[in-house]
Order: sequence, then structure tokens, then C-alpha cells
Amino acid sequence: MATEVVIPMLGITVERGRIIEWAKKEGEQVKKGETLFIVETEKVTTEVESPVSGILAKILVPEGVEVPVLTVVGIITEPDEALPDKYRDVTVSSDMAETTAAQNAPERKERVRAVPAARRLAKEKGIDINALAGSGPDGTVLLKDVEAALEGQKTSDVKATFLASKVAREHDIPLEQVQGTGVHGRITREDVQRVIEGKKTPVEGEVIPFDSMRRAIARRMCESAFTAPHVYFFTDVCMDAVAELRLGIIPELEKNFGLRPSVNDILIKAVALNLREFPMLNATLKGEEIHIFPQINIGLAVALPAGLIVPAIANADRIGLVDIIRQRRELVEKARNGNLSMAEIERGTFTISSLAQYDITYFTAILNPPQSGILSVGKTRKELFMVDGQVRERKVATLGLSVDHRIVDGAVAADFLQHLKWRLERPFNMFFPF
Amino acid sequence: MREITYAQAINEALRECMREDERIILLGEDIGKYGGIFQVTAGLLDEFGPKRVIDTPISEAGFVGASVGAALTGMRPVVEIMFIDFTTVCMDMIINQMAKMHYMFGGRGTVPMVLRVNIGAGRGAAAQHSQSFHNFFMHIPGLYVVVPSTPYDAKGLMIEAINNDNPVIFVEHKKLYAEKGPVPEESYSIPFGQAEIKREGKDLTIVATSAMTLRSLKAAQEIAGQGIEAEVIDLRTLTPLDKETVLNSVKKTGRLIVADESHKTCGVAAEISAFVAEEAIYYLNSPIVRVCSPDTPVPFSPPLEKAFIPDEQDILTAIRRVMEYS
Repeated sequence: MATEVVIPMLGITVERGRIIEWAKKEGEQVKKGETLFIVETEKVTTEVESPVSGILAKILVPEGVEVPVLTVVGIITEPDEALPDKYRDVTVSSDMAETTAAQNAPERKERVRAVPAARRLAKEKGIDINALAGSGPDGTVLLKDVEAALEGQKTSDVKATFLASKVAREHDIPLEQVQGTGVHGRITREDVQRVIEGKKTPVEGEVIPFDSMRRAIARRMCESAFTAPHVYFFTDVCMDAVAELRLGIIPELEKNFGLRPSVNDILIKAVALNLREFPMLNATLKGEEIHIFPQINIGLAVALPAGLIVPAIANADRIGLVDIIRQRRELVEKARNGNLSMAEIERGTFTISSLAQYDITYFTAILNPPQSGILSVGKTRKELFMVDGQVRERKVATLGLSVDHRIVDGAVAADFLQHLKWRLERPFNMFFPF
Repeated sequence: MREITYAQAINEALRECMREDERIILLGEDIGKYGGIFQVTAGLLDEFGPKRVIDTPISEAGFVGASVGAALTGMRPVVEIMFIDFTTVCMDMIINQMAKMHYMFGGRGTVPMVLRVNIGAGRGAAAQHSQSFHNFFMHIPGLYVVVPSTPYDAKGLMIEAINNDNPVIFVEHKKLYAEKGPVPEESYSIPFGQAEIKREGKDLTIVATSAMTLRSLKAAQEIAGQGIEAEVIDLRTLTPLDKETVLNSVKKTGRLIVADESHKTCGVAAEISAFVAEEAIYYLNSPIVRVCSPDTPVPFSPPLEKAFIPDEQDILTAIRRVMEYS
């Protein structure tokens, strides 16, 4: 029976994808689980494995054409089977792509087949079982498939795409030195490419083509900067109380939880609580409607060699400081290892971008679409101030707030920032219980 | 150790117990002069006399009922029903009287009685003398149900059944009577509710009953040649059920086959599968597979009867199926 191959769902907000490379040609044999094509979306580039073994009888969507996810892009037939007539004269048009996607949508909602033991392990280890390719009968996900995925997370050196391995061999690059950014930390060709390019310092006159991460950053920054009218606000916040709070709780948190709080953790909590009172800064614009997000998930910008990525701490207003620290540590770790899930990147509703470790007094930040607010954090510096006629020293940081002026008025933004300042200068009120 | 047959082992258990306790009497059709249709009671009439080894008329409801009364008033009857098929004509005595007395009289009265039956197709005995509905009795609270698979287990479990103060359904298997195995000459008993791992293995668990245990062991032996190690658990008693041994094994292997000769629908295997699904589903690496008799009467035609009986080949098929998930 002919099998339709589709561009899989790659995350809730990913609507379209572009096949950048077919790994098989028409008429070529393909095994189940082999890479069939590489699809690029705004957020990720990923290899798609063949759902069945057979012959790639027809490619319906060629390389470079962007189509909605779930569009049928190719047909795999059994060895002796003729290509069914209905696929014979199909050409790609956006209309057809839309209809096919709609037809396929309910089918794709089915849960993946998995044996219970595989489900249990996946749940325990926080692996999305629906993202795994099953090696059992009818594609059933077996325990060993989950174990393999776990293994892949632990040692990114063993999991690499065939293209990545090939390019790495050609350039004599040991895969152990390459950081994987594909599904479950798999090393993709681009990861290898980055290492190849990283080996040499960019020189004058050199042309560096975009990789998908740079392309996504560029597109999103343009979309944000040229669509949302930004307006900026700054205020100085005395950081003495935050520093004091942090030093005060370090011993107990280290003793009881083995966790060390950072200023950022306290900042995340303060911002999250503040957003409860200012829902317009936890909102997005859709057409002519303002949609307030149902959750408060604080994105934290993490700078990686390849570019910027913003994983988000979920429900930061409701969870305690200990959980914030745990999530933050885990997300930063995953970001560095390149195995953040789509959900962790996409769920952000407000972003904090900190350059506090640099000698930057303050800066303006571009909104992280589709959000309507972003907080920029400059270095903490010492300054002199007057109290009761005496000159004293205090620690001060300048916080900047960028908002989408279409939905947030200046007064609201100013009020938000002032409230945040108030909280940070009296932080002891925020954190009990931990 | 000397080897005797399954039938001889039960005979020996009866003899040893009867020598020690004169309250033990035997009732049944053709059990005296003839020695029982499968010769399980052979020679006992000569040793213990017609007052203790009683040939009854063909009236199961009558002599099972009489035995319930005798048990209530101090005797310890061991009753033979010629084929399990015939328990249907005395079901009221078994289900409503024998199984209920102890409970309904608040414990002031016990029924220390053993009802011997046999199951199993394969003797060309057709649809009314070949059935394996031991599962009926597993369904009824108040009855112990024993399903020995070896001469050793048959003797030890029979002695335990006779010494037990509650009614016991002792399920023998026609095709096992002539099977030989090592049996100690001295008296010993095997406690109820203790399954035995008759073969250890790491890849899959076969939970078996009665003759299916032997068939499972043969299949396990054969598949071992392909590097697959099956663990074979002989339940030995259906009530009480040794869940712990089954669960521990399933947790170890992640795969379960249940081999039992009752019909598949609502059979013993259904119950075993259900409790494993309830209590250990997240350890399973593959679907559970049951190897049972099909849901039809036992055919008389020899080729059809052969096809009907769940055997090593069916177990091997099941093994290959669960091992697809690896």
C-alpha cells in the first residue's frame, strides 16, 4: 500500500516548513527510519525519517518550496507496487497543499503506538514519546527506542545524521567535538559546518552564508523591529536588598536543595509577579485582538556561539524560587547542549535579557515575537547617594523595558517598571514560602 | 530418586493419608473394583475395604451432596468425578453447598473435602468428556483450586488438599496420568499459593497451568536454541493465586504469555492477563498473548481435535509474536 509522507508537526506555532534537501531520489529504495529529507522551519532544522520501508516513488514537493506542515510531500510504495494514479499528475500548489494538510490533520493527532514500558520510561525521563521513531511492529515505540533516545541525550557524540557524519569525515572533524542541535541532541550537518567555519577566523572579504539559526534570528528580529513599534523606558533600581536577600538564603538553599540562587532567579520571580498585575505586558497581538496569555512563562535569553536562544521558565509566577532555580539551570544546560524542546522555546510570554556580566550600563532590547514586553538588565554598579545629609554607597542597576506600543501605552509601561523597582527594592515580601 | 507416574503419585498420597487417618473415605464411580477410570484409586479397595472406598451409583449430585454432609459431620471425603464434564450435574452441591457452608454458618462448620476431577482433550473422547473448564471453580469464592503438572506436585498437593479443612477442587489432567517423574517415598506436602518457576529465563514469562506447563517447557527448550530464554512459571494452584511470583517475573522480562487449556474467553488466562495489566502494565514491552483452547466444543474428529489442543507449536508462535517487540 502506498504511504504518504508528510512534513511532521514541529511545534505548536510552526505552521510551515521548507524541504532543504531530499536525502533520497525518486525511485530510490528507502528503509524505515532512514533519513528521507531535511526540513527547515523558522525555529529548527530537522531530519525526517521514513515511516516505512519501500521505494520513494514520487516527490511531490521539491527542495526549497515552503508548504504548510502536514502537507504530503512524497509517496513511498512497496517494491512491486505501481504509483497509484491519483498521485501521478500532482503538482505543488499552495491550494492543494492546504487541502491535503487539512485532510491529514486529524489522522496525525493519533497517539504514537508505544508499549507501556516505553511510555513509563519516557514519562519518567521527560522524553516526548511522540517524537520517537518506533522500531517495533507497525512502528511501535519499544523500550529500547526510548533507551536509545536517552543514550543520545547523554552522549551527543554517538547520534549524528548521515550527512553530518559524511561532512565530518570529509573535513576530518571528530564528531565528539561537535555540539548537536538536532532532535535529542543529534548532530546535524550544520553543526559540523559551524565547527568547520569556527576553525578559521573570519577574514576580510569572506562571505558567510546564513545557517538556519542565523536565518531565524534575522527574520524574527526584522519582523519584530519593523512590525511592532517599540518604545523604551529605563529606571535605576537599588540592588542592595536583592543582594542581601540572595546572600541570606544561599546557605539554606545550598544545604537543603543543593541549589545556588542567582540575581536572575530573583529577577524572574519579581517580573513574573509583576506581570500578574500588568497582563497587557503578558499579551500578544493577533489581527485586531489582544490575546492575554493564559500563563506567565519567563523567557531567559541565553547567548550561544551560534546565536541567541530564549528558553522559558514555565509558570514563574506560581512556582517557588527553588523550582525557578531548578528550571533555569536545566534550561540553560539544555540550551548549551542543544536539546531544548520546542515547547521550552515557544512557551515564553515575556523575556528577560541580561548583559549584567558585561560592562554595559543599559541597552534597548528588541521584542521577542509574539511577546509584547522585554526587560533588559544592565550591570550592577556602585554609586554614591545622599541619605539624611550623609553620603552613602549603594548598588544600582539600570533596567530597561521595551514594549509593543500598539498594545501597551507609555503610562502602563512606566507603571510596570516602577512596580518592578518597588518589588526589587523590597524583595523579602516575594519569596515566602520558597 | 525413583520415578513413578502422576496417577501413581496421587494413589500414593491417598494411601499414605488413609493409613494415618481413618476419617478419610473415597467416593466415586468405578473407583473401587475397577480402580478408577484412570487407575488412580487402584488397589485401595483391597487395602481399606468397601466402607472406606465406596463405588457409587451414577448420581453425582447424590454422592457429592452425601460427601458434603459427611464432611460437615466429621469425615474427610475424597470424591472422584470421572470427568470434569460431569460436575455440571452436581454444580448446586459444589457451588451452593460445598463452597458456601463454612461462610454461611459463620465458621461453625467446615467442609474438609477434596473433589477430584480431570481435564484435557486428546483422547478422542469428544465434546462431553474432554473439557477443561477448571476456570469455573477459580471464579467461585470458597473453593481452593489445585492444578498439578508433575507427579511430585500431584502427591505433595494432594496431601496438602486432604489435610486442608476447606473444600478443594483437585484438577488432574488426562494426558498427564502416564507421565513419570521423581517422587519421594516419604510423605510431604506443598503449600497452596506457591507457584514454581520451572525454568528460569530473562526474555519472556510463560505462566502455565497443568499440562500446559510441560508443553511450555518443551517450547522454551526449543526456542532456547535461538538464544531466547523463556521463564516458565507453573501456577500449581489457581486459588490461591501466587501473583507475586508472576509479577516479579513479568517485571523482569517485560513480556507475558499465559498458557492454559480452558477456553480463551473468560478463561484462566484472561484472569492472569487482567491482573498483570492492572498491576504491572508499565513493565510490559509487548502485548500479552494467551495460548488457550479455542472457543468451540472439543471436536471428536482426530485432526480437528489435534488442531483444537493448545500445544508447543502454539506456544512457539506466541513466543515469536512477543519477541517481535524487541
